[in-house]
Amino acid sequence: MSKKTITPQKPRISQYGVDPKYITKRVSEFPDMTSVMLKELFPDTPQVIYPSEKGIAEVRETAEKALKKIDMSMIKSTDSVNVCASHHGFTLLGGEPYAQLLRTIRDVIAQRTGTQDIRLRAGVGLRFRETEEYIKAFKLDEHYQGKAKGMAPVDQGIPIKTEIGTLYGLKAVYDADWVVHAHNSDVREVHFHRQVDRAVKPFGMSYARIETRSTYHQNLGPRGANFTARAIFDSEFVQNKFAFAAFLDMSPVGVVGVDVDNDLYALNDRLTAGGCRYYGKIMTLLGEIDECIAALDFPCPVPYVFAAGVIYANFAGANVDLFDLDVPLPPYTWYTEAFYGKDGKPLIDKVPPVNPAIKMALHNYAWGGYPSAFFSEHIPTLVVGGEQAEVMNRDPQNIEYMSYAVTADNLDTAMRFAYNSAKTDKVIIFDGAAGGINVSEPLARLLLEKAPQVNKRVDEVLLPKWLRQRGIDTQIIKAAVL
Amino acid sequence: MKLITLVAKIDIEKCTGCRTCEKVCPTIAIKIVNKKAVVDETLCRGCGNCNQRCPADAVSMEKLAEPYRVGVSIDDLPYNKIDELCQRASLNPEQIICYCTMTRAEEVAAAILKGAKSPEEISQQTGVRTGCKVECIQPVLRLLDAYGIKPVPPEGGYQWYGITPTIWDIPSEVKDKYNARGFYFEEDIRLLNEVKDTRKEAKR
Ligand code: SF4
Ligand code: SF4
Repeated sequence: MSKKTITPQKPRISQYGVDPKYITKRVSEFPDMTSVMLKELFPDTPQVIYPSEKGIAEVRETAEKALKKIDMSMIKSTDSVNVCASHHGFTLLGGEPYAQLLRTIRDVIAQRTGTQDIRLRAGVGLRFRETEEYIKAFKLDEHYQGKAKGMAPVDQGIPIKTEIGTLYGLKAVYDADWVVHAHNSDVREVHFHRQVDRAVKPFGMSYARIETRSTYHQNLGPRGANFTARAIFDSEFVQNKFAFAAFLDMSPVGVVGVDVDNDLYALNDRLTAGGCRYYGKIMTLLGEIDECIAALDFPCPVPYVFAAGVIYANFAGANVDLFDLDVPLPPYTWYTEAFYGKDGKPLIDKVPPVNPAIKMALHNYAWGGYPSAFFSEHIPTLVVGGEQAEVMNRDPQNIEYMSYAVTADNLDTAMRFAYNSAKTDKVIIFDGAAGGINVSEPLARLLLEKAPQVNKRVDEVLLPKWLRQRGIDTQIIKAAVL
Repeated sequence: MKLITLVAKIDIEKCTGCRTCEKVCPTIAIKIVNKKAVVDETLCRGCGNCNQRCPADAVSMEKLAEPYRVGVSIDDLPYNKIDELCQRASLNPEQIICYCTMTRAEEVAAAILKGAKSPEEISQQTGVRTGCKVECIQPVLRLLDAYGIKPVPPEGGYQWYGITPTIWDIPSEVKDKYNARGFYFEEDIRLLNEVKDTRKEAKR
C-alpha cells in the first residue's frame, strides 16, 4: 500500500443534507484507496497560507496586511457599510478561512474609518437558509454585533438600470452607503461562468434577484450570460456604492493569499489568470481519465462536491475543455440541459455528451438543494442509504433525482456493486481532501503518468489561448501569481 | 408538469402574521387571515418558499399522503399554435425551461393558449417556478409577452418584478465595447437561433 489517504471534510449538520449520524463510513476508508498530492502532479503548485502550521492566524495576518493598500477614505465615520458575502466561501476548507476574512474586513473597516454601522449580508445559491447556517456556525452574528443576515433571491428587490436594460438586485445588498465585495477566487462553476468575469459574478447571482439570475441562465446564452454581472456592476447605482473588494485567493491546494483592490476589474484580471492556470491544469488532467467510479462524499449539493478543487459538475464535463470559449456548450450547464428534447436526445448537434469516463456515481454523502436529476439521468447513480434517498425525495428541486438513481443499504455493498457493474478499478473521491486528491491506486498511477504532459500543454498551448480569449495580457501570469 | 409531494403547514402558535410567506408564494396560496397565515392547500405546489423565508420558523413542509400531478396537456391544441408562440418568445417548444420540474416551453405555451394570464396561474397549472423558485421566471414572462399579455406583479409581493433583456436585445455598441472580454455575444445568438429554429421532425 502506498500513501495514506487525506482526511476528507467532515459531514456538516444542515437542513439540506442527511443527519451526519448516517454517514458511518467514508469512501477514503477503503484499503485500496490512496492519495496524490497536487505538488507531485504539478511542480508549479503554489505555496499556501492555509492550511499551514500557523493555522487560521495566517489568514488574518495576510488579510490585514493586504487591506492596508485599500483606500477607505470614502467611508465616513457616520456611514453604513454592507460587507457582502456568498455561501460558496464557506464550503472551502471547512469555511473557517472565509469566516476569518469576513471578521477581519469588519475589524479593519471599523478601525480605519471609525464607523460602527457595518453589516454582513450573505447571499446564497438555491438553498435559501444556507448562509444563515454558516453565520450561526461561525458566530458571525456576534462578530458583526447583531448585524449579520442571510439573503435569498426571493427577498425584496430593487431595480437597477444597466446598459442593456433593467435588472434587479437584492435590496438588502444596497441598503447601505457603501458596499464591500468579499468573495473568493475558487473557480467552482466553470461550466456556467467559463472563468469570464469570475470576480464580478456575485453581482449577477448571490447579490441578485430571481429575475436577474433567470436572465443569466435563460436569456443571454451560455457565454453571453456572463455579461449579466458586469452590466449590474457597471451601473451608476452600483458604482456609486462600491467601495472595494477583498478576495480569498484560492488554488486547488488551498488559500494562496488575500487579494484586494478598489478596482474590481484589476483584481478580476489577476484572479482570472491564476484560476485558468492552476485549476486549468488539474481540470485538464482529470479530463485524461479514461474510466472511473466517481464517489460523492462531501457536505454540499451533488454538483458541488470537491476533488482537488474541482467540482463534480465540472468533472461531468471534463471530456471537453471548459475553459475554451470556442466550445459553445459544456456537457453540463443549464443551457445544455434545456437543449435535450423529449426523446432524451439533444435538439442540436452541438450538445456534447456527459463525460463518458464516469461509469458510475457513488453518492455516499451529498446534499439536495440544487436541481440534480440531470446527473442521475445521465450517469448511473447509486445512493447509499434510504435516509439519503429520502432527503432527495423531500426536496422540491429533486423530485425526479431518485426516479433514475438506485439505493444500496450501506457503503460496503454499494462499493462492491459499483466495482462489479462499472468494471473499473479506478475510483476518484470528491470528498474535499485538502492539498491533494483521494483516489484508488490504479487511478493514482494514471494521474502521475499523465501529469507532466498536461502541465506542458497547459503552460505552452492552452493557457495562452484561454487568456487571449478573455482579453487578458499573458504577461499578467508572471506578474500576478508567481 | 410537476409531481406535488409536499404541502406547507403553518404552526399558528409561532406565526406572527408578518406576511413574508404571502409575499414570496409563487402560486398565491397563502393569505393572512386574522393576523395568521392560512394556506390554500389546493393551490400550494410544495415549493417551500414560505418555509425557507419565514422569520419565525412557523412553516413546515409535510409529505402528502397522496401525491398528485399538475400539468397542462398539449394534445388538445393544434401544435402549430404552440410552436408559433414559442418561436415568438425565441424558444424551441421542446426546450426545458424549468430544470426542477423538467417542464418544456410547449407546456407553458399551451397553458397560455388555454387562458393562463399570469406567472401565478401558470405555476398553479404547470408547477413551473415551484422547484428552485429562481431560474424560470424569464421564459414564463417571455411567453406571456409573446402572446401580448403584460402581467402585473402581485401587489406588495416579491414574487417577481419584471421582464428583463435577452441576448437579442443587447445594443450593438455594448457588444462592440465588451466583445474582447470573452462574452461571445454573436456566437451565442447564432447558437440560440439554431436551438429555436431546429425541429426534430425536420431533422429526421
Ligand atoms: S412568514 Fe411565518 S410568521 Fe410570517 S406570516 Fe408567514 S407563517 Fe406567519
Ligand atoms: S406554493 Fe410554496 S410558498 Fe406557496 S404555500 Fe406552498 S410551499 Fe408555501
